[in-house]
Amino acid sequence: MSATRRRFLQYGTFSVLSVGAAALLAACSSAAPPSPTAPPAAPTSAPTAAASVQPTVAATTVAQAAPTVASSAPTVAPAVTTAAKATGPVTINHYLSGDVNIRDLWSKTLLPAYQKVNPSVTINVTFSEHGTGDATTFDRIAAAKQAGKPSGVDSWETGNYLLQGGQAGLIEKLSPEQIPNLAKVPSAVIGQYDSYGVPYRGSSVVLAYNSKEVSNPPKTLDDLLKWIKNNPGKFTYNPPDTGGSGAAFVTRVLMMGIPDSDLKLFQTGYDQSKESEWDKGWATLKDLNSAIYNNGFYPKGNVPVLQTLGKDAISVAPVWSDQGLQYLNQKLLPPEVKLLQIDPPFSGGGAFIGVIADSQNKSAVYAWLNWVLTPEPQQMIIDTIQGYPGLDWQYMPDAVRQKFADIAKNFSFGFSAKFSSDMNQQWYEKVAGTPPPKKS
Amino acid sequence: MTETVRVSRALESLRLRSQEAALGLILALPPFLVLILLIVYPAIEAFTFSLGQVPTDNAAFSTGMHLIVSPTPTLEVYRQLFASSFFQADLSLTFTVTFLSVVLILIVSYVLALYVRFGSGGLVSIVRSLYLIPMFVPVVIASYALITFYVDHGLLQALLSQVGMGYSSPIYKMLGIVIGEVWTNIPFAVLLLGSGLDGLPQEMVEAAQDAGAGFFSVLFRIVVPLNLVPAMIVVTFSFIGVLGSFTIPYLLGPNAPQMLGVAMQAYFISYQQPQPAVAMAVITFLLAAIAGAVYVWATARSGKAV
Repeated sequence: MSATRRRFLQYGTFSVLSVGAAALLAACSSAAPPSPTAPPAAPTSAPTAAASVQPTVAATTVAQAAPTVASSAPTVAPAVTTAAKATGPVTINHYLSGDVNIRDLWSKTLLPAYQKVNPSVTINVTFSEHGTGDATTFDRIAAAKQAGKPSGVDSWETGNYLLQGGQAGLIEKLSPEQIPNLAKVPSAVIGQYDSYGVPYRGSSVVLAYNSKEVSNPPKTLDDLLKWIKNNPGKFTYNPPDTGGSGAAFVTRVLMMGIPDSDLKLFQTGYDQSKESEWDKGWATLKDLNSAIYNNGFYPKGNVPVLQTLGKDAISVAPVWSDQGLQYLNQKLLPPEVKLLQIDPPFSGGGAFIGVIADSQNKSAVYAWLNWVLTPEPQQMIIDTIQGYPGLDWQYMPDAVRQKFADIAKNFSFGFSAKFSSDMNQQWYEKVAGTPPPKKS
Repeated sequence: MTETVRVSRALESLRLRSQEAALGLILALPPFLVLILLIVYPAIEAFTFSLGQVPTDNAAFSTGMHLIVSPTPTLEVYRQLFASSFFQADLSLTFTVTFLSVVLILIVSYVLALYVRFGSGGLVSIVRSLYLIPMFVPVVIASYALITFYVDHGLLQALLSQVGMGYSSPIYKMLGIVIGEVWTNIPFAVLLLGSGLDGLPQEMVEAAQDAGAGFFSVLFRIVVPLNLVPAMIVVTFSFIGVLGSFTIPYLLGPNAPQMLGVAMQAYFISYQQPQPAVAMAVITFLLAAIAGAVYVWATARSGKAV
């Protein structure tokens, strides 16, 4: 009996080890196939057996095998580079980071519309809510570049990582040569990320106020700060790292202490020594603490602030224009809530899609992004999420320009990525936290 | 001749046993390799990163802000971290919440386990199902439910105002985190303590009661000492869990100070400073390792492992 049991164990061990080794080797070699047909044969059989024994190792091999098989297929078909549309079935792996309303915009409206225009292109969307998966995606693209293998990511809608990645050589620099409609986008907005992304839509932070309780809303920043102090407990905003609406409010207050000559540096560069110019703003925000809703409670995110406004617990709050309008449409905010842009305006900007430098389907991605910058999808963006169009206002119909008259004034630009990171930290230390005891 | 037969038989069985032992080790090798590759090696690289050795091939680490780079290992990152009053506030909040939660978890789950073990009647079976509910509710859902219940103008305040009692919400304060942690850790603790109590010989309890011992004498002189190892395990597991928790402090806690788990995420992602974040992770790991050492000592003494 012991002989047969031992033999069973021996055979079992060796088969498990050999199958696992074969799966690992196949996955590592299939990432750079000399001929696309040979490697897929190995991974398809190995992971199914390995999956039952080593689920953790198999997950990575299957995940690696799938996008490489998908992206290696188009290289077999003749790639047409001159025509605007790519021939042959193409799969674009699009990574999307943002709030759920953007995910729904893509999956329910824009992508089905593009499917009708170009049925041979399939766009797989990987969604990362509020950017929680962004660091992983960035790591993945950087690791792929270092290993000299395609990362499997074709396009990415995200924030600061596009600029950071562009400077590291991971994101493609774009121009009207690749995407003709980029010429119709305001250059200042493209310059926000140094041409490393296509601003296909925009929005800005505006002031939402309940017109029943606030008959004479503040229209300038100074009026707003005075109003908050005179009406304690009726205003709040979210910590700057949890949402753009709070970040825009904090940025606007901090800009009070920045001379005009330094503004450009704060928006595009980084110089830590200049952060002393923020002191006036921090003092103002700290002073507001006692007048904030619930004695200094800051809800963690854009949506919690909107919900607090909707519950009528506060009367005034900074909100994103598209989220505010969407909530009004869906009756999640009482109809008395109105939006206005103060002077000097809150920041806003574009939402950018970047093209990864090692993407295997660049022509298909360019064609798709070019389509997004045409009037029909831009109208869909306006209708669905109340966003600003990415195209310059002059290319949009009159009805659109009329609709946004109240809030589509200029918006300012926020701080650059590194300044924003320092702003996030200093908010927690200087506004929310207790200051350290003064050294005597 | 019998001597040589006995020796050769012993050698034969030794050879078979060592072969089977080798087979067992080989079968245990794959998960061990995965552990080394995916956890131990990155942890070592992160630890050296916190000592000032910035790896050039790691984009997330090397593009961090305010990096302290040093050719030789240095404790500068830790020195700056401990000198920062905000980190000290975070650390003291973490310790306070952890100790409070562990004590409350132990008391509440001990009471529940004792009731289920020694109680009688229909209520016992109801309680037996009730205390398992937090195990099946996802933590995020449970957090939002706790917020809805405890928040200002929430359900609890509405009920209390009917009776005319005042109320100040513990949510978004330190006590909110404690409530959340205790709620989610109850099932595990009760099950562990309950299994320990099940191993208690009923005859001992009855003998003590026959000798005239009251409830509290039985409790503190028989039940608690015999149930010490499961209680030790509950304490260490809860300590490690609450120390490094993220979801509950993030959703239920104050804006500042933050618990270590939330602070780590903030430093790494929001402030783009991976070095202090990794240093905090090392500190958390060392604290948890102390609790782990206590666990190992407790189970080694009793000779049984969980």
